Amino acid sequence: MDLVQPVVQRLPNDIGGIVGDPVVRIDRPLEPWEKRCHALADVLDFHKIINTEEKRRGVESLGSAMIGALGYYERWAVVFANLLFQKGVLTPEEVALKMAGIDARSSAERGDDAGEPR
Amino acid sequence: MTEHDHDHSHPHAEIAADGAPGYFEVLETALRELLIEKGFIKAAEIRRQIEVIDSRTPALGAKIVVKAWTDSVFRAQLLANGRAACEELGITFYDDTSLIVLENTETVHNLIVCTLCSCYPRPVLGLPPDWYKLKPYRARAVIEPRAVLAEFGTIIPDDVEVRVSDSTAVVRYLVLPRRPAGTENYSLDRLEALVTRDAMIGVVPVTLDSVEA
Repeated sequence: MDLVQPVVQRLPNDIGGIVGDPVVRIDRPLEPWEKRCHALADVLDFHKIINTEEKRRGVESLGSAMIGALGYYERWAVVFANLLFQKGVLTPEEVALKMAGIDARSSAERGDDAGEPR
Repeated sequence: MTEHDHDHSHPHAEIAADGAPGYFEVLETALRELLIEKGFIKAAEIRRQIEVIDSRTPALGAKIVVKAWTDSVFRAQLLANGRAACEELGITFYDDTSLIVLENTETVHNLIVCTLCSCYPRPVLGLPPDWYKLKPYRARAVIEPRAVLAEFGTIIPDDVEVRVSDSTAVVRYLVLPRRPAGTENYSLDRLEALVTRDAMIGVVPVTLDSVEA
């Protein structure tokens, strides 16, 4: 039971007070796409499409395996997609088509016609 | 610790070796472009918000701190209602958050954290450093703050109370550090140069040789 109990008592984000490693003072500037992702979060909040708490809960609902595997803004991008699907704002199909189009566009911009489908 | 329990601050492989944008960058672009095409948001709003994000740095927080150090009326207003006092200075709050300013004194040292995520007083400090968003700081600040502070080189005497404030989506905190002795004749600019981001998070004091990490 001792192994199972913490799993139900704490969701993945609820880490206040647990044992942790020493703090390593790491910091780095955001990549341009990460900054756009942050701006997108703010604008979605302004329009009351996705608020901060929905975003946080959306990250939590990814589960600890995905939370651990993805970077900070990678989680945000996935959560925005999930929430926009749930809210009926966008559909998975149109996002998949759009992503394929962006891949083709960026291949063409790089003069690379060997763009492979994901 | 599980294999998935590590934290990430690195941007992953968002730029592939051949220069192609990575999966998550393409996902972000796709969502943004679709939302714009469908009229939910405007491209200009994204551009404007990037400018807003870029305009918020710890220098803004330092102005607030120095104003509080040198203007007792403002200091009282700031401690009573952080957001209203900042707005009086012309600092807009683009997010729907309130701001509580926590004053360090001879007997109390304040520290801020967000155990659940990465909530931070962004309108006045900009974006949080990576270590603030990662597990060690979030997990330990609330249970062993003195040990965490010591890792930043900050030793708080036993007779000084350490208060840790845990931020939420709608309530953010800013530490008002103590003004160091020997700065009575400093100009406002010189004082502002001493006030670092980390001092306003509460992990270090303001000292005469403060240098932003």
